[in-house]
Amino acid sequence: MSQFDVCVIGSGPGGYVAAIRCAQLGLKTAVVEREKLGGVCLNIGCIPSKAMIGAAHTLHRMQHDAAEMGLEFKGDVKVNMKKLKDWKQSVCDRMSGGVEGLLKGNGVDIIAGEAEFASPNELNVKGSDSTKSVKAKNFIVATGSRPIEIPGFEFDEKTVMSSTGALALEKIPKSLIVIGGGYIGLEIGSYLSKLGTEVDILEAQDALLAGVVEKDVAQVVSRKLKKDGIKVHLKAFAKSYKKSGNQVEVTAEVDGSSKKFKADKILVTVGRKPNSDQLGIKEIGLELDDRGFVKTDAQRRTNVSHIYAIGDITCQPMLAHKASHEGVMVAEVIAGKNRAYDVKTVPAVMFTDPEIASAGMLESEARDKGYTDLKISKFPFGANGKAVSMMETDGFVKMIADGKTNVLLGCHIVGPEASNLISEAALAIEMGATLEDIALTIHPHPTLGETMMEAAEATLGHAIHIVQKKR
Amino acid sequence: MGVKNVELPEIGEGVNEGELVGWLVQPGDTIEVDQPVVELMTDKATVEVPSTVAGKVKDLKFSEGDTIEVGQTIITVEEGAGGEEQAEASSKEDKQESSSNQSQQQAPQQQAPQNQQQEAPRPMAASGSQSGGGMETINPPVAAENVLATPSTRRLARESNVDINNVKGTGLAGRVTREDVLAASSGAGAVAAGAPTTAQQSKSSTPTWTPPQNFTTGGEERVPLKGIRKKIAENMQMAKRVVPHFTLMDEANVTKLIEMRQELKPQAEKMGVKITYLPFVMKALMATVREFPKFNGMIDDAAQEIVYKKYFNVGFAADTPNGLLVPVIKNADQKTIYQLSQEIVDLATRARDGKLALDEMKGATFTITNIGSVGGTYATPIINHPEVAIFGMYKIQERPIIKEGELDVASFMNFTVTCDHRLIDGAEAARFLAAFIARIESPGRLMMDMI
Repeated sequence: MSQFDVCVIGSGPGGYVAAIRCAQLGLKTAVVEREKLGGVCLNIGCIPSKAMIGAAHTLHRMQHDAAEMGLEFKGDVKVNMKKLKDWKQSVCDRMSGGVEGLLKGNGVDIIAGEAEFASPNELNVKGSDSTKSVKAKNFIVATGSRPIEIPGFEFDEKTVMSSTGALALEKIPKSLIVIGGGYIGLEIGSYLSKLGTEVDILEAQDALLAGVVEKDVAQVVSRKLKKDGIKVHLKAFAKSYKKSGNQVEVTAEVDGSSKKFKADKILVTVGRKPNSDQLGIKEIGLELDDRGFVKTDAQRRTNVSHIYAIGDITCQPMLAHKASHEGVMVAEVIAGKNRAYDVKTVPAVMFTDPEIASAGMLESEARDKGYTDLKISKFPFGANGKAVSMMETDGFVKMIADGKTNVLLGCHIVGPEASNLISEAALAIEMGATLEDIALTIHPHPTLGETMMEAAEATLGHAIHIVQKKR
Repeated sequence: MGVKNVELPEIGEGVNEGELVGWLVQPGDTIEVDQPVVELMTDKATVEVPSTVAGKVKDLKFSEGDTIEVGQTIITVEEGAGGEEQAEASSKEDKQESSSNQSQQQAPQQQAPQNQQQEAPRPMAASGSQSGGGMETINPPVAAENVLATPSTRRLARESNVDINNVKGTGLAGRVTREDVLAASSGAGAVAAGAPTTAQQSKSSTPTWTPPQNFTTGGEERVPLKGIRKKIAENMQMAKRVVPHFTLMDEANVTKLIEMRQELKPQAEKMGVKITYLPFVMKALMATVREFPKFNGMIDDAAQEIVYKKYFNVGFAADTPNGLLVPVIKNADQKTIYQLSQEIVDLATRARDGKLALDEMKGATFTITNIGSVGGTYATPIINHPEVAIFGMYKIQERPIIKEGELDVASFMNFTVTCDHRLIDGAEAARFLAAFIARIESPGRLMMDMI
């Protein structure tokens, strides 16, 4: 029996970060993990998908852009899927190993096994050969989420795959039907398409990423999908599938009429749900909301005062960086500091082609919140020297500001390295910066970052590198 | 006949100056000798200063808020036709105590409930109580989405226990700056609650700060914070800032104490003494404080030393028409219950009548608040700095108990001890309170400690 100040359950980007900060603050800390350290993010989520997207992007550029740049290859560029998979795995192993090193280096006890609350103060951890009892004064539940299954399309990870199965593919499928055109489906569908798969995406809504990103942002990605030969079917509801030889045939209702789609495999990416049905969470009386999230207050404390919950299991958005932020905060709360989750924005990034990134409010959200006088404008990557020289000119930076004060309310980027550009906007929003603050900050040339400064200028009505009509 | 100067007389031991709170006379008024002419606030009390001269007021030499030193001329008076010769010195020494009708002595005050979470020592929470508590209100509340402040400023506000939603931002576009938070934290920048500083509400993009508009339908009245009230505010604020408070609460079965008092009451009445529970509590406390000398100590902040006092002067809160007063019983440990009763009645009566001398409100080493006589089950009083503890007693309530397997009725009284955590730890406070309760539950024991 071990007694800890804090026991963190789950070692994903919420859990391992919380554990490290707890240890830094002098708390005797353990972290329990049933699979690999680093959780979904490092092993079957963010990191491996970025490796695959990076490889596919490189391939795509060799096939499409290289010739125009004057680069010629002898014969076709070939994909060695086994090598690609090994390399992807090496990336994951390296990151997971890094987490292990950090946890050990900070003196965190790593306990392998499946955890279940025996009581609100005690955890049974079923390891490979024995069950261990772990007692702690505080618990942090960071057990994350998993892909949602839809009836009739139960995951076997061979024919009907979740993101986990798709990332573990041994061979590139000839064809794939993606059910659910959210960002995970778009990311995986896009890179497989670049690696040679024919992709059909079935999306229930009447537009891709509707309500999630600005309409004009989604349109840029939609156009690129079309150009790259990915077929997007809107208002499409998958009903059932049957095997037909080596293939599957999916019956779907598309815009009111029944259609059939044939492919090697099916990928279901209709969202993720919190893992709150595990761990004995209900048995020890943690309250859940109607969507299955563990209810917490602004300190991420559950209704049982020494049990905290962070990350995907608590609330939307289910994003790794939100979980990490909460992990640090909760560790400090447990250490006696007065902390609360009071961020103004959780930036979101989608590794579509081109990338999408956003921070702050959508235009519709700003209007819903009572901002009637908005300044909105955008600056295109086509007018940025670095983007042109990269031959990646699709997309723009769009800014939404309060018309009365010029305080930045939202920033929405679609284009090259959008994911790396958005942090500036997030900082601006947290700082309460105005468009002038961004415009008056010298941005180095020649970089994609200049588009941020220019977008701020454009929203003020006087960008340099595009011609704007006087208002 | 002629114009005479009225100078500020000596107004108390060690008091050399006072702040002018308000004039009680105006030029042209006819005044008598000993008629109060001006209200002054010293660091001890507000006093009314009497005239030494009769006649017609000619000039007022100071304005409200001015500081006047002893010996300075406060008014000039044209002596009346009566030509009554009044030696200026004649009233310098007497009648002063009659005017000290208020005191700024730190009396127990209910603290704002929103401070409590911050006050509760977190280490306790970290030990992980398993109660179904949880989901407490976060204090101070999380910043609303439209509050403009950098993350580090928001954190500063949280750590300073400032509700940033109520801080008026002086920065660009209503941004709450670090300085705004620090000002609010020290009380200087306090802002009317419910006056949100939002980006939307800024009327223009000019960065200048405009005073909040009066948008409550009933209007509001603004009165300067001055005099006694200001002194109380400063002292309370100082005590709260300097002293990390915590309060321990418990109850005692006072059935035997009630019986004892009932028994003694007729006897005391024969001797002309009204006997309340306070002297018993005082007696039990003195014995307990002797056992735990820290509770009678203080921290000399400047010298960084702990001072253990070998004398026991007990202040007790008295509710008077002029506000809270804390008369002090000197050497309370050496007095009998009769003597304590007599002094309590005497001091309380004179406190109510505004007849306490300044000296009678000074020198406490320990304070008791008896707010229970007014109402409330428990309170978390503020310590009378530099004392390190304040003791609270609350109303008596009858409650069912199980006694030897039978349902019985007993009377309970609630007690609190609020301590300066710099000097006194939770466990010590718990032992102190337990020792006190053991005494008050068996009042016969008081005999054992009696001097």
